[in-house]
Amino acid sequence: MSLFFMNLLNGLSLGMLLFLISIGLTIIFGVLGVLNFAHGSLYMLGAYFCFQSVSLFHNFWLALLISPLLVAVLGGIIEMSILRPVYGRDVSFQLLLTFGVLLVLDDAVRLIWGSGYHIVNPPALLNGVVHVAGFTYPVYSLFILGLGPLIGVGLWAFFRLTLWGKKIRAASMDREMAAGIGINVNRLFTGVFFFGTWLAGMGGALATPLRAIGPSMGEKIIIESFIVVVIGGLGSFPGAFLGAIILGLINAYGAEYLPRMTMALPYILLALILLTKPRGLLAREV
Amino acid sequence: MTRSDSSLKPLFGWAAGLAALILLPFVINTYIILLTTEVMIMGIFALSFNLLFGYTGLLSFGHAAFFGMGGYVTAYLLSHACPSLTLAFLTGVAGASLTAIVVGYLSVKLDEIYFAILTLGFGMMFFSLAHQWRSVTGGSDGLTGLVVPRLGWGAFSVDISSPWHYYYLVVAAFLLTVWILRRITQSNFGLILVSIRENKERAAFTGINIRAYRLASFSIAGFFAGVAGGLFAVFDRMASPSMLHWTTSAQPVLMTVLGGAHTFFGPVVGSILFFFIEHIITKFTDIWMIYLGAILIPLVIFFPEGVLGTLLGLKKRKHG
Amino acid sequence: MKGKQMFKRGMIFFTAFAMVFSLIGIAHAKKPIKIGAVYIMSGFAATYGKFAKNGLTLAVEEINKSGGILGRPLKVSFEDSRAKPPVALRAFRKFVYEDKVDVLVGLDSSGVAKSVVPALTELKTPLIITHAATPDVTGKQCNKYAFRVSANLSQNVQVAAHIAAKTGARKWTTIGPDYAFGHQSWEYFQKYLKALNPKATFMTTTAFPKIATEDYTPYITTIMNAKPDGVLISLWSGDLINFIRQAKKLGFFKAKFKVLMTLGAATEVLYALKDQMPTGIWVGTRYWFLANHSPVNKRFIKAYKKKYHVYPSYNAQNAYAAAYVLKAAYEKAGKVDKEALVKALEGLTVDVPVGKITIRAGDHQALLDVSWGKTAADPKYPIRILKPIVTFKGSEITPKVSETGCKRK
Repeated sequence: MSLFFMNLLNGLSLGMLLFLISIGLTIIFGVLGVLNFAHGSLYMLGAYFCFQSVSLFHNFWLALLISPLLVAVLGGIIEMSILRPVYGRDVSFQLLLTFGVLLVLDDAVRLIWGSGYHIVNPPALLNGVVHVAGFTYPVYSLFILGLGPLIGVGLWAFFRLTLWGKKIRAASMDREMAAGIGINVNRLFTGVFFFGTWLAGMGGALATPLRAIGPSMGEKIIIESFIVVVIGGLGSFPGAFLGAIILGLINAYGAEYLPRMTMALPYILLALILLTKPRGLLAREV
Repeated sequence: MTRSDSSLKPLFGWAAGLAALILLPFVINTYIILLTTEVMIMGIFALSFNLLFGYTGLLSFGHAAFFGMGGYVTAYLLSHACPSLTLAFLTGVAGASLTAIVVGYLSVKLDEIYFAILTLGFGMMFFSLAHQWRSVTGGSDGLTGLVVPRLGWGAFSVDISSPWHYYYLVVAAFLLTVWILRRITQSNFGLILVSIRENKERAAFTGINIRAYRLASFSIAGFFAGVAGGLFAVFDRMASPSMLHWTTSAQPVLMTVLGGAHTFFGPVVGSILFFFIEHIITKFTDIWMIYLGAILIPLVIFFPEGVLGTLLGLKKRKHG
Repeated sequence: MKGKQMFKRGMIFFTAFAMVFSLIGIAHAKKPIKIGAVYIMSGFAATYGKFAKNGLTLAVEEINKSGGILGRPLKVSFEDSRAKPPVALRAFRKFVYEDKVDVLVGLDSSGVAKSVVPALTELKTPLIITHAATPDVTGKQCNKYAFRVSANLSQNVQVAAHIAAKTGARKWTTIGPDYAFGHQSWEYFQKYLKALNPKATFMTTTAFPKIATEDYTPYITTIMNAKPDGVLISLWSGDLINFIRQAKKLGFFKAKFKVLMTLGAATEVLYALKDQMPTGIWVGTRYWFLANHSPVNKRFIKAYKKKYHVYPSYNAQNAYAAAYVLKAAYEKAGKVDKEALVKALEGLTVDVPVGKITIRAGDHQALLDVSWGKTAADPKYPIRILKPIVTFKGSEITPKVSETGCKRK
């Protein structure tokens, strides 16, 4: 029973981290119509920037502030220079193009920080453990567990209640019309990509106390994020949330009950959901 | 050029191509023969993918499933004392086709990115299966050290473990694939596939059973991916899980988009370009990804129809 | 019509491509002895390739500075295997057929090794394996051209079994990566420990997380919940780092069971974790830089530290050793020739940093000392070191040729 409860915690905190990363992916897809293959690499970059900032300033919170911003600036540059020429082209072009970005970023990281591994310790405030049901559990994982829904609700409020949020939603539904009513679509798109990559960088920075930083750490997360956003429904917020929780729980309980299948489980889940709900669980109303 | 010899021109083109392929081994070293063999195998793989993508409008991200299936079944039979290479190979292709029919049946009702991700999911299921089923697939190690039997019977057999012999075998398979796929794409069936790609609703309105046509296209693509996979397993004397991984599925996508999805030979040109670029890069550095990426990005931006497609388009505009 | 023109254009591409290649292929100067090295240079295990490159480069510089081998300098080229068998095989073929190398060196992944070692009989070129640990390449797959100068899985696990037997723990389980290496480590461990301590039992609750798992908490809690007496951990590199950090938080290292990590003393792990590495844990590696104080080892550590500013990892030593093994072999043969090299390597004893190693003629596996130790803090070092160190002689921990499955002669 206690093991069951532990895995619930594990699954949820893993899910929340996935949510943070996937949400950026889904926002970018929802508004720009681009499935960003390099999203995982931007997550990785967030982690490396965080490591670098922590070793420079010895302050995790400051690093958490700086590193996602740096990633987002890079994201904005990528959008303006590389993605802008290919809007309206087939999705395969965008995949290939962002795959090119992935290749460059992965090697750039290797050239700058080497191919070894680095770790970042959690801030003192969150470095401890708590005792739950006869087990010790890291406070930092609980912190992530709480932060996920908070960011989710914040984003939801932003898109529903603020003018900018409404503009973005309008543009995502009909680009031409949005331009017609005086929204600067170019600037909006750059802004959205900036924001989406900020979230990826945030995910990377937040992951550092849990995961070793090393080359190609983005490649695995990108496939998982694809699964999350697709099973949830592309472009859907609550969908990404739901998808992330499901995938997190599948990983945690799969390890306990179906250890030989952990590799295949996410894909089986993906196929089952797409075969019954072809547009994902919470497809965005068209 | 006068009008009268223009009817001979295409024939001349085929003959020149054939002659080039046949004579190639006399002018280049063994490694380039091996590399060209690999280019042709991947060319078959990419051409099969493009029947689905360029002609039918379905972006598959799990095409490695059939490539790997062809490879694994062939390798399994060869490593279990199957005396006939032909039998092992044909069983491999049959296995790939059957898999494609099942996966296709489930997948073709989806569109666009959903189709892409669903096929990715199926592909990775096969990857996981190959990785975990140690007793049959050899697990993470794969099936290795295959002994390749002679091709043919008795006195009329050849040892294809020689790079030159295998090269000619692959040339034959490549030309046959090109010829068949070309016939398919130029047939009525091919035109219907294109009409589905261009406008699914209109095609459905004219009474075309879209799912059936897509499934047929998917199965044929799976068949030829199996051909490529079987050839690859014999070429490398192994089947490894990496053959089934999504990164292998990404290769024909990359080659096709690079070469041009809307021209028949685009995927082949893409395959050549891809290997050529990689060969040159890895020649002077082991930090190859950053260079590959830096070349890929402008290629994609400045060649909106792929390299071959864009060049042909330019030429047409100039003459037209 | 249009298509046929396209075909023609395709063929022009083809021939142009072939011509460019043939120009590139035209003879290089034949003076230096050429080594073709294939390691993992990209992806999550890229650190292995980096270390090997460091080690090999250092050795080649040293050898060339002191006059080369038989008066000829060494020239080494590196290719990235990407941990994929077909890519590694392509690199081998390129080295042999196009670059015309004299010898091949390399391989990190066991899966890659098992896939390309059989091809050596076609390539007719010797390969010195410096890392890949699968017993099969010097076992049932052994062939004339495959040599290994590094410790293999069975040697390393044999030591683990000796240490496990001494701890007195009876009920064992494992956490290992879900591929051949993890499963084989566990299978060999059971076999060897059972022979040393017939009372040992092995649990059915084991944990095999897939490679590059990032969240080990479910596996850690499962194993802790099963209450074993001892746990064998065969995770490596980045996976091991993640595991150790998460396990530490969950109190894994404070629990009552003994913990043995077969690759816990790898320097990339120790450097990443620094003082986060728990102390008092039994860890193994394939070369520990403080395990012996031979002049060769001291010189190597000094030169390596000077050039790369870190203590050498086992993979760096292995690649470094390969170059000196080649030097000794070529000098013994008196000429640079592939068949002569094979002959010279068989039975050769060379003094390399890890100690004196002897390449067995029967299966081409090196007999070498394997050291394990308990992690300990020492203010003189930036990383955890081993104290005490126990070293087992190669002859004690290597199965007889007849037991390896190698039927070469």
